[in-house]
This record gives sequence, structure tokens and C-alpha cells, in this order.
Amino acid sequence: MLVLATSAGVVRPLVRASVLLSLPITISVVLVSVFTRAGTTVLFTIGPFDATLEGVEFAAQTLVRLFAISASIGLFVLTTDPRALVLDLERRGVSPRFAFVAAATIEAVPTLVERAATISESQRARGLDTEGGVVARLRGLLPIVGPVVITSLTDVEERSLALESRAFSRPGARHLLWAMPDTGWERILRWLLAAVLLALIVARIVGVPLPVID
Amino acid sequence: MLRLTDVGYRYAGYARQVLHDIDLTLADGEIVGLVGANEAGKSTLCLVASGLAPGSIGGALSGRLEIDGEDMAGKPLHEFATRVGIAFQNPATQLSGITGSVFEEVALGPMNLGLPARETVDRVKAALAALGIESLAEREPRRLSGGQGQLVVIASLLAMRPRHLVLDEPTAQLDPEGTRLVGEALRQLAKAGTAMLLVEHKTDLLDALTSRVAVVADGTLVADGPSPDILEDPRLDAWGVEPPSRIRLGRAIAAAGMDPARVPA
Repeated sequence: MLVLATSAGVVRPLVRASVLLSLPITISVVLVSVFTRAGTTVLFTIGPFDATLEGVEFAAQTLVRLFAISASIGLFVLTTDPRALVLDLERRGVSPRFAFVAAATIEAVPTLVERAATISESQRARGLDTEGGVVARLRGLLPIVGPVVITSLTDVEERSLALESRAFSRPGARHLLWAMPDTGWERILRWLLAAVLLALIVARIVGVPLPVID
Repeated sequence: MLRLTDVGYRYAGYARQVLHDIDLTLADGEIVGLVGANEAGKSTLCLVASGLAPGSIGGALSGRLEIDGEDMAGKPLHEFATRVGIAFQNPATQLSGITGSVFEEVALGPMNLGLPARETVDRVKAALAALGIESLAEREPRRLSGGQGQLVVIASLLAMRPRHLVLDEPTAQLDPEGTRLVGEALRQLAKAGTAMLLVEHKTDLLDALTSRVAVVADGTLVADGPSPDILEDPRLDAWGVEPPSRIRLGRAIAAAGMDPARVPA
């Protein structure tokens, strides 16, 4: 994964994104595993809780797995243009409606962020306190979330009307204007990865011993 | 030709009828202006004329909508798309939100129609050229100004090549140059035979562009006639519509005791 991230030039954003993605679960895993896992080697004690070496080992093992999952997702997101992905899915037979929903979901994120920022600024201009302590921030959240949700719903209705007027609901295939470049090497690599995955699943089912990260 | 006969409409979940006994005809190549106060029923009339009400949003429609002599009752929505195009006032909500360039955005409609790629490309180029916005082709739709976005929306409609256009305040976010461009494009389309219903508060634009103007008040068509007659109608203010500036100027001159005909241009 590191090789792929380096060749794509996304090592730093990948590490940052992976850490951020796994951080909430990391905190709970560390707390729960280190202090509640039964073990013979007690490292230190806080109140009624013993931090055990076995707990630390289990937490480390879980975190490595978590980081691997979040890094895989992060690498995919950082190196794949969502529009290109959706377009290619449609070219491979996925329904245009599904492709639209997938693309709209991905593209909605920056739009929502922009809208929330605009609403936050306009609410601040009218005296809403959105800075300061946690309580003030929480209190300031509701007048922002409400308008964001309501305007988003209104927009969805208008957008669906506009799309209908552009024959969105017409059944049948579309002739796409673009095709993603797909070299022979990329095809071979894809089949190879699929074969390795299949082999790993079969090995697991039939009980062939595999190297395990401990 | 698009014809509404004795049309009434009620939104889904509401008891109140918002359109009553509307009779309106758009002849081929005709630009008909539609004016009225806010909440008069103009936008609802646009939705009905384009088949979106009740086709997409539900509700109860009475009366008859005919397009080129064909009764459109019960037709699927995608059949309306090539016959009537509709544009609303906010470009942000009309752009699909899934395309990376203006070219892709304008191509979306023709692609939905299942047209061959070559024809889609030709239509997109023609639509962009008609509005003079070829330079925007590679721009990201989300980053456009309101005016540019509206021009892209209209280009997206033009690429569908409908015989009828329903435009609900299409120049609301345009600067004077953008308004002029849209006006010019609409004029060219009308010359080519496209019928248009143009909702506008900018009566100067209607004065310059339309041959007929209809007035809606409380969901009823209260006037329908040649543009000069309607736009000079003394009841226009009472209907919540501001007359064009030439009419207001003429009235101001007359009120000052001068003869408008003798005031130098």
C-alpha cells in the first residue's frame, strides 16, 4: 500500500486521512482493550482498572487492522476521481439511475460543506455565537443544521424537476461520451488481484495456514 | 403548438385549487410573456405546461394539455422532455451536480435521450454557441457565477431541442449583458419555430421580446392579448406588475403636464 501511495504521491494526505478516519474508534479500542482485557502482566493501575500487557498487544493488533482498512479506503478515495468511477460503472452496465445517485452522494459533500459555511456566516452576522466553548458551539449548531437540512431538501426537489425535464427518467441505455483508459497491464493486474483474493478465501475455508500479523 | 384548455390544478395534500379555468395557447414561434404578482400561480402554471405537475410532483389536474395536437394526459415524463423544456430561476438547483465540466452538463440531457455520441457532441457545441458561452465548456459548473450558471441551464435545454420552452424568470440572476444574450437566443429560437412561455418581472424584456402577454392573478388568467395593449393596461399595477420603463416614463411626463410625444428621445 505504501508503494502505491508513494507512486501516486499521496503518502502524507493518506496518513492524515487514515489517522483521522480511525481516530474515534482508536480511542475507544485503546481504552476498552488496555483496561478491560484480562492478563497476567499488569503494567499500571488506574483506580479499579488494570492496564495489562495482553490488553496493549490486543489493542495494537486491532489498531493495525483498523489502520489497514482506513488506509485502503483513503487510498481509494485519494486516487480515484468519483465521477470517473461512476462513469466507468455505468459503462460496465450499472443503471444510470444508480450511477447518478452514487455520483450525487459523493458530490453532495462539498456542496453541503459550502452551504453550511454560508449559513454559518449569515447566522453569525445576525448575532449567533458559533465560537468559544463547547456549550456555545453546540448551542450554535441547531440554527445552522436546520436551514442546511431544509434548503437541501428543497434543492433536491427542484433538482429532480430539472432532471426530469432533461429526460432523466427515460428508460434504456445511454451513449456515453467518455471511456476510461484501461491498458492491458491494468486488466492483468485486476484479474491477478481477484485471483489472489479468491485464493485467500479458499485457503481460509479449507484451513491452509496463512501468515498472520501479530 | 402548446395548448392549455380549461386547466385547473391543486397541489398534492392541499385542498385549495391554485389554478382555475386557464386557457392559454402558444403558437409555434411565438414568445408569450406571463406576468403576475408573487404567489399568483405563474410558477405552477409553468409546471403544468411542462408536464411536471402532476407528472412529477403529483396533485390533481383538471382540463387538458395538448402539445402539437396530442393530448398529453397520462404520457410518461420523459416524453415531455423532448417537447417542452423548462428552466427555473435558480441555476444552482438546476445543474445536475454530478458533472465535472459545462460540456458534460449540457451533454447530460442528449445522453439521457440515448442519442449517438456524435449527435450529442454536435448538439452541445451548437447550444453553447447559440448563447455565446463556448469559452465556459471546460469550466466546473459548481464554480460558475449565477448568470453563467443560468446560461448553462438554458444551453442544457437547447441541447434537448424541444419545440416548446417554459422559462420561469430565466434572467432573474443575469446581468444586463447576460439578459441581452438570453433575449437574443430566445429571439433566434422563436424564429426557428420554438414556442415559448416566458415568466418575467422584467417587463422591459417582455416589451422587447414578446408578441403577447398574459396576466395571472389568484390563479386565474385575467388578461391575455398583444404585448403593447397588456403592458399599457392601467390595471397592471393593481395586478402587482410594474409596467415597462417606457410606459412609466410616459406617464411621469404626462403627469408633469407635458406631452410625451413631444419630449425628445
